[in-house]
Amino acid sequence: MLSFWLAAAAGLLCGVLSGFGVGGGTLLMVWMTVALSLEQKLAQGVNLLFFLPTAAAALVFHAKRRRVVWRAVLPAVLFGCLTAALGAALALGVASALLRKLFGAFLIPVGLSELWRGLRRESGKKEA
Amino acid sequence: MKNASFWRCAAAGAAAGFVNGFFGAGGGMVLVPLLIRLAGLDDRDAFASAVAVILPLCAVSIAMYALHAALPAREALPYLLGGAGGGVLAGLLFQKVPVRFLHLGLGALIVYGGLRLILC
Repeated sequence: MLSFWLAAAAGLLCGVLSGFGVGGGTLLMVWMTVALSLEQKLAQGVNLLFFLPTAAAALVFHAKRRRVVWRAVLPAVLFGCLTAALGAALALGVASALLRKLFGAFLIPVGLSELWRGLRRESGKKEA
Repeated sequence: MKNASFWRCAAAGAAAGFVNGFFGAGGGMVLVPLLIRLAGLDDRDAFASAVAVILPLCAVSIAMYALHAALPAREALPYLLGGAGGGVLAGLLFQKVPVRFLHLGLGALIVYGGLRLILC
């Protein structure tokens, strides 16, 4: 039961980030694979499911505030759906241990660029 | 938002889709900077639009996992409940959050996680 509430709390925390549009899923992956030592592919499945209610809830607010640029979203979704299917199919054919290393290698430049963005941005200068 | 052309947005979406499908995460990390730099969206609009893009992409990837019976529905349940609450909170806080510290904290955690995954 404790692990249930711990998972829900992790979901809540990462859900806030995911609702902001960036980093929540990645952080949740790090939590599940590094802290809980979940198998990589299992964690990926959990993470994909996690995004559905999280994004749907946040999107209601974003759309109501007219923050969503549908003109940009439409083509991105159209082509993104094709590559999302391709990426998932590829991942399912790769061993979890290798996928874990590849994910680690992907995280380092992503994390560094996040750090860079945080350091470079003068508070209040440009909105994000 | 001057040059949010069809093909620039399509390319950004394609890159995010692949990463998100392959790693089951990270689509937003790829998409947001591309929407800002390549498609010229405002920062805050890019974050909100990324949520709208990644949602259907996840649904497509989930369908692929389901075809391979690789969908851990029971393990995911508590995360879904927490996530829904987090999504609502994000919607409420979105206009107010100071993003600078978010970037710094998130970046440090992600680099740490990446190193751990590669080294252990």
